[in-house]
Amino acid sequence: MKLHPFTPFALVLAVAALAFILPAPSGPAALYAAVAATALARGMRGAVVAGAVVSLPLWVFLVLLHAILPGGEGAAAALAQGARLGAVATASVMLIRTFDPSRFLDAASAGGWSLGAAFLIVSTMQAAPRLRLRAGSILEAQRARGLVAGGSPVARLKALVPVTLPLALGTLAEVDERAMALEIRAFGGGGRRTPLEIPAMSARDRLLRWGAVLAVSAAAGWRLL
Amino acid sequence: MEAPLSAVVLDGLTFQYAGAPGNALDDVSFAVPAGEICWLYGRPGAGTSTLLLAAAGLAPRLTGGTVRGAVTVTGQDPQTDDGRKALRGRVAHATSAPDLQLSGIGATVGEEVAFAPANLSWPIERIRPAVEAALARLGIAHLAARQPAALSGGEKQRVVLASLAVLEPPVWLLDDAGSALDAEGRRILAALIRAEAARGAAVLVASEDADAMAELAHRVILLDRGRVAWDGSPHALLSQELAWEHGPGSTAIAEIARAAWLRAAGQKFAPAWPLDPDEAAARWS
Repeated sequence: MKLHPFTPFALVLAVAALAFILPAPSGPAALYAAVAATALARGMRGAVVAGAVVSLPLWVFLVLLHAILPGGEGAAAALAQGARLGAVATASVMLIRTFDPSRFLDAASAGGWSLGAAFLIVSTMQAAPRLRLRAGSILEAQRARGLVAGGSPVARLKALVPVTLPLALGTLAEVDERAMALEIRAFGGGGRRTPLEIPAMSARDRLLRWGAVLAVSAAAGWRLL
Repeated sequence: MEAPLSAVVLDGLTFQYAGAPGNALDDVSFAVPAGEICWLYGRPGAGTSTLLLAAAGLAPRLTGGTVRGAVTVTGQDPQTDDGRKALRGRVAHATSAPDLQLSGIGATVGEEVAFAPANLSWPIERIRPAVEAALARLGIAHLAARQPAALSGGEKQRVVLASLAVLEPPVWLLDDAGSALDAEGRRILAALIRAEAARGAAVLVASEDADAMAELAHRVILLDRGRVAWDGSPHALLSQELAWEHGPGSTAIAEIARAAWLRAAGQKFAPAWPLDPDEAAARWS
């Protein structure tokens, strides 16, 4: 049975809170390992890789800042900051990849949310996958015209412009087109949306949510006392 | 008997995109009554898409630009907030790009088609049969549980059309909506247009498919650089030189119409297409 659409958000928030509450560097590192293990156990190896790729530039920056350049706080600080980012990035990618906009809207409608607020979250959650899809199709189109996108770093860098420029322009145009399509389909403009199927709140949802609250509270209490 | 009320009325509609040197629409006036299928024809840049966007209330609000003149759709002004509110779910506007018209929210085709009725707060007991009926009309009932993003372009376009048909809107604005469809899809779209007009909807169709529209439309409005260059029956347009000057003449049906017209007038003309089965047999056997 699927989780209630709000439960994964609660878990990601808990991961973000724990990443900063738990003592560094072992706490964030253990949290990152736990999040990555959960993703792997759920067959989401891609989320672990994507989380690592997203946080990699910052890892490099942190190691430079804390461990190599003079005046840094040391390798432990770099590890802690990097692990925090890695844990939150991996959990966020898991959330994005399992996000079901229709169920989320149904849950939001059943909860009395305004359509505008719900759509703000839906469109934000969909931005990354859409961008990825569009980038893929632009890359294929440019390859068909002879673009060499692989090979040396210089060749990859050269391929960036013919991919990113149409990506940016296309994304801007898509925003207008999608706004039109949604308006034609009576999205926005007030009124409550009818939930097609109200997502059930299972015992597992309650357990996970309360578990998240307890974990954050316990960690905060432990650090404060 | 009283004449039917006009569903779409344009009165001196003039539109200019921001930064454009001229008007995309220039003093366009006409009315489309309920139940009429009106074919909008024009070469690329003639203003047909802009006209449909303005009638839907999407231009200039979402496209930028300035508009003058008046637009009325079922008695409401789509250029005002109150008008748009009153027209929510009552104007079906579709283009040739199905990927951009899917909401991206429905996880299945069924949910995608149910998206607009749910937004309009229809009770679920009304939504379910309406969605089933719309899917059946577009011949995609078997796709109900599929992911919209995983469909072919033609299937997606049918989903878009089903998503609009489910609302049974009084006004349809179709901007080249058949171009992504295969032959069967185009037949289904033609049947949908006929049925919607028979139900009392006003249907404006911007299309370059003169072969299909000549039989489907009650009336054609030819736009030339934003102005109305012709307003009459499709057959009357296709049988004269104006059609050739503006593009629709470059189709099989227009060529046959022109040949028949010239032959009746005693002029010699050798059409690319035979005019009857005997001539076809003589030419192609």
